[in-house]
Amino acid sequence: MSVKLESKIPSGPIESKWENHKFDMKLVNPANKRKHSVIVVGTGLAGASAAASLGELGYRVKAFCVHESPRRAHSVAAQGGINAAKNYQNDGDSVHRLFYDTVKGGDFRAREANVHRLAEVSVNIIDQAVAQGVPLAREYGGLLANRSFGGAQVSRTFYARGQTGQQLLYGAYQSMMRQVDLGNVQLNTRREMLDLVVIDGKARGIIVRNLLTGEIESHEADAVVLATGGYANVFYLSTNAMACAVTAAWKAHKRGSYMANPCYTQIHPTCIPVHGENQSKLTLMSESLRNDGRVWVSKKKGDLRAPSEIPDSERDYYLERVYPSFGNLAPRDVASRQAKYRVDEGHGARGEQAVYLDFRDSIKRLGEDKIAERYGNLFQMYDKITGENPYKSPMRIYPAPHYTMGGLWVDYNLMSTIPGLFVAGEANFSDHGANRLGASALMQGLADGYFVLPYTIGDYIANTKLPTVAVSDDAFKHGENGVKEEIQKLMSTKGTRTVESLHKELGRIMWENCGMARNKQGLIEAITKIQNLKEEFHHNVLVPGEAVGVNTELEKAGRVSDFIELGELMCRDALTREESCGGHFREEFQMDGEAKRDDDKFCHVAAWEWTGEGKPQSRHTEELKFENVKLATRSYK
Amino acid sequence: MEKKQNINLKLKVWRQKNAQAKGEFKEYDAKEVSPDASFLEMLDAVNEDLIKSGDQPITFDHDCREGICGSCGFMINGEAHGPQKGTTVCQLHMRHFKNGEHLTIEPWRAAAMPITKDLMCDRSALDRIITSGGYVSVNTGNARDANNIPIPKPDADEAFLSAACIGCGACVASCKNASAALFTSAKISHLALLPQGQVERKQRALDMVAQMDAEGFGSCTSTGACEAACPKEISLINIAKMNREFLRASVLKKEEVGGGDMA
Amino acid sequence: MKDFLKSSVGRKYIMGLTGLVWVGFLFAHMAPNMLILFSAELYNAYTYSVTANKILLYAVEAILLSSLVIHVLMAILLTRQNRVARGAQYAVSANGEKAVSWGSRYMAAQGSAILAFIILHLITFKYGTYYETTVNGVVMRDMHRLVVEVFQSPAYVAWYFICLGLMVFHVSHGAASVFQSFGILERKLQGGIKKFAWVYAIVIVTGFLSQPVYVFLFHK
Repeated sequence: MSVKLESKIPSGPIESKWENHKFDMKLVNPANKRKHSVIVVGTGLAGASAAASLGELGYRVKAFCVHESPRRAHSVAAQGGINAAKNYQNDGDSVHRLFYDTVKGGDFRAREANVHRLAEVSVNIIDQAVAQGVPLAREYGGLLANRSFGGAQVSRTFYARGQTGQQLLYGAYQSMMRQVDLGNVQLNTRREMLDLVVIDGKARGIIVRNLLTGEIESHEADAVVLATGGYANVFYLSTNAMACAVTAAWKAHKRGSYMANPCYTQIHPTCIPVHGENQSKLTLMSESLRNDGRVWVSKKKGDLRAPSEIPDSERDYYLERVYPSFGNLAPRDVASRQAKYRVDEGHGARGEQAVYLDFRDSIKRLGEDKIAERYGNLFQMYDKITGENPYKSPMRIYPAPHYTMGGLWVDYNLMSTIPGLFVAGEANFSDHGANRLGASALMQGLADGYFVLPYTIGDYIANTKLPTVAVSDDAFKHGENGVKEEIQKLMSTKGTRTVESLHKELGRIMWENCGMARNKQGLIEAITKIQNLKEEFHHNVLVPGEAVGVNTELEKAGRVSDFIELGELMCRDALTREESCGGHFREEFQMDGEAKRDDDKFCHVAAWEWTGEGKPQSRHTEELKFENVKLATRSYK
Repeated sequence: MEKKQNINLKLKVWRQKNAQAKGEFKEYDAKEVSPDASFLEMLDAVNEDLIKSGDQPITFDHDCREGICGSCGFMINGEAHGPQKGTTVCQLHMRHFKNGEHLTIEPWRAAAMPITKDLMCDRSALDRIITSGGYVSVNTGNARDANNIPIPKPDADEAFLSAACIGCGACVASCKNASAALFTSAKISHLALLPQGQVERKQRALDMVAQMDAEGFGSCTSTGACEAACPKEISLINIAKMNREFLRASVLKKEEVGGGDMA
Repeated sequence: MKDFLKSSVGRKYIMGLTGLVWVGFLFAHMAPNMLILFSAELYNAYTYSVTANKILLYAVEAILLSSLVIHVLMAILLTRQNRVARGAQYAVSANGEKAVSWGSRYMAAQGSAILAFIILHLITFKYGTYYETTVNGVVMRDMHRLVVEVFQSPAYVAWYFICLGLMVFHVSHGAASVFQSFGILERKLQGGIKKFAWVYAIVIVTGFLSQPVYVFLFHK
């Protein structure tokens, strides 16, 4: 049932592709919209904005989230900001520059047309957010303020202190709740999608577990949107929230949706280092801190002195040294790799796995008040977690898994290889290539939800014969039974290993072999280890309690089971991609410590097709053409 | 950087199988807790032991574990989110506790936020308050340029402080009247402060207050418990603003004459 | 208007307004009481003068009585609503940084005690023994004598002290939170209003307490 990967990029010059495409797409008349229903799974930035916009258009929308409230989606935790090519600062920004920076930042592994569209609609997102009452930061003149983010030499990042994601999410959430009030969106909270229902080759519904009652429910629709986020929790320790999972995407993958570039994972350079065995998650310190913070390590190896005792002459401000033109604002993949090198060479802060992020000079220059105004909540958070005061001594930071550029493969219309299944936000693979620039995730999630899906879903519905389906149909019953069987299997194993311990073990394998640096040997070993872990999981997992009612361990078990399968695919993808690009760093392919791409062999998207339980997925490719940005070695020096 | 000693704690935790069941306190030991661990990580460890010994783990809501999603929250010795001010329980670290301390851990209690299991409760009433009017009615694509209306920085900053509410419910839980005034008022003042929120300002105040009452929350008696418990330190000023907005709306709200759709 | 009165916020306005009437009355009641420190004649003359104009007296009494009734009624309604809203109580209550002031926590209990006090107070004084005296040839009620007599009883003095002590909390919390309820609180006023309310309550109550203290010092 192999599908040919058709990207469906519209013809014409890149600046007018989206504009022309919007005109070419078919419309659904207002009276007919009411007859069509769309399921939106996930209510973060992408999901909530899509549900709100589709509801406004008049579709009957059913939104689903695992949380008790859509406001808890992990978009809420995004700190630093959102990019937009407004050029309010008059510093030379433009749609084309944002497009260029994003393509280059992604190490030339993203689709040009998608990225250009993203840059085009970025400006509308800011307008929309402000109109919703999102309190973005302002200057004294009453106009919007900007800050700089990594990988760009212009100031194009809009922000709301260190809580930009929260404020943008609430904007989208409130818009969606307005549609709930108007009866256009039906909100289903505490539901986890456990299967996709495909009828006649089209996505027509989902099977969910009600996390409060344990009941298995079916929901039908004319199209399904997955906006279920990324899979960085495959590493166990990541900056993702505890409930972030690949499960919904993975179930869709198993029903025929290809998984693209799963090995592209972003390790964020500025996170609070691991403190101990019982740690459950890692906390990010926003990239915006690198606007005013300087990153350094001691020039001396194994230096155990307190940072205040290390004079300037003995400090290595390595990002400024290696990348003089971007300095501390080098992109994430690059900055993370450099931190790893320093620590591997023995320069770690006080001999530990950490480097310093120092505000001493900025505090001297701007005063403590100014720094507090910009980053107060982040400093406070750092203080709470570590018990150290970053105004007095530098922060200690280290890279940690943060975001996944890979995801379900989608065409230009954000439709997956299953007709009628659309994927938005972090869950798709589309816009960031092999590395995402800071402040671009919020941009992409909202672009997909507000400005892309409302058009492309309409086009799909107008062009597609969609016979009526009902949840009493066999396909739904079959799906429900499958889900029930899986749950039964998990509940009845009654082994000796807790879900947590299995997840931790998977995380260790992934971090060591498929983390910041990868190599052939390690990846091959990791695949074997993961296969063994899968065996162990299915024979020895211990899920307490019962399938009825709230059972958080059962929820976790399902998610970890999917992470294990995904982990194996990630390693296989990393193994096959014999080049280094962005966040995918193969030690065998490097030049002076920088990633060395192989454009002849790997200038393509790798999309993996599920071929059945126990069989390895098969690899398909979509060639990437660069007609507007010249393929070049990415340099920030 | 001296390594601090691990500590042992005695926990008295509310256990309740489901919404209908009658709950009770049960005692547990938390052993060898690292002072660097968060409160939830301490509970994770207790849970791991419970699971291994064939018991049911303690259910509690949590997600981001960085103090922003608003999922977590329960009472520790009668204090919402524990003793530290301006902190969610996921950001509360064990270095603030002493070896041998006894901690009583209870779920949020309020008639409008019923317990669903152990320390987990149903806060959907807060969502319904937002649904009743906590938004600006602007369809996607209708927006003007973002810099079209300048907003004085103090107003934008004040609006941000109100908008920072994470909806965790600590205000309701800590209020002797289980009032949701702080939550409701934060959204009313956030939007009342901004030019974009002006058109629906009056109706919003009326609708949200009505919904707050309809959900069965109590009334504000200005004890300030909510402000003290709020992990985002949302100010009581918001409640004053809500009252003012409500009075203003009650007095100034125009009669709707209907029509307009007939063309 | 009906919606306004039915809402919890509207009811708080009513509570505040009626409370404010009494907060004002307390001052108007306390200040002339100070005359006792000057002379018995002055004290009695003042009592005579305020009761002379019956129309004014009844009007003021009507306002005070209706305010009190409405205040108490609203308090009962809100307290009942709040009890239902609270549902189960906690096993432990806060005592650290997140604890609330005693005054604000027990407003209802204080209010009940104060209501009892007001009733008893009226029985004791307004409807108490009617002594007569003559000042400057005018026959009038000898309030001074009654006051001196009543405050001879240690039990009554103790009761008076306790109730006025409660009044400090009730009035200070009420006077501060009325700004909150009326929505005239601004960030920059926050600290000042609390202090003002405390000072006001303490001044009022100290003023009243001057009565038994005076009796104790000069008429023991």
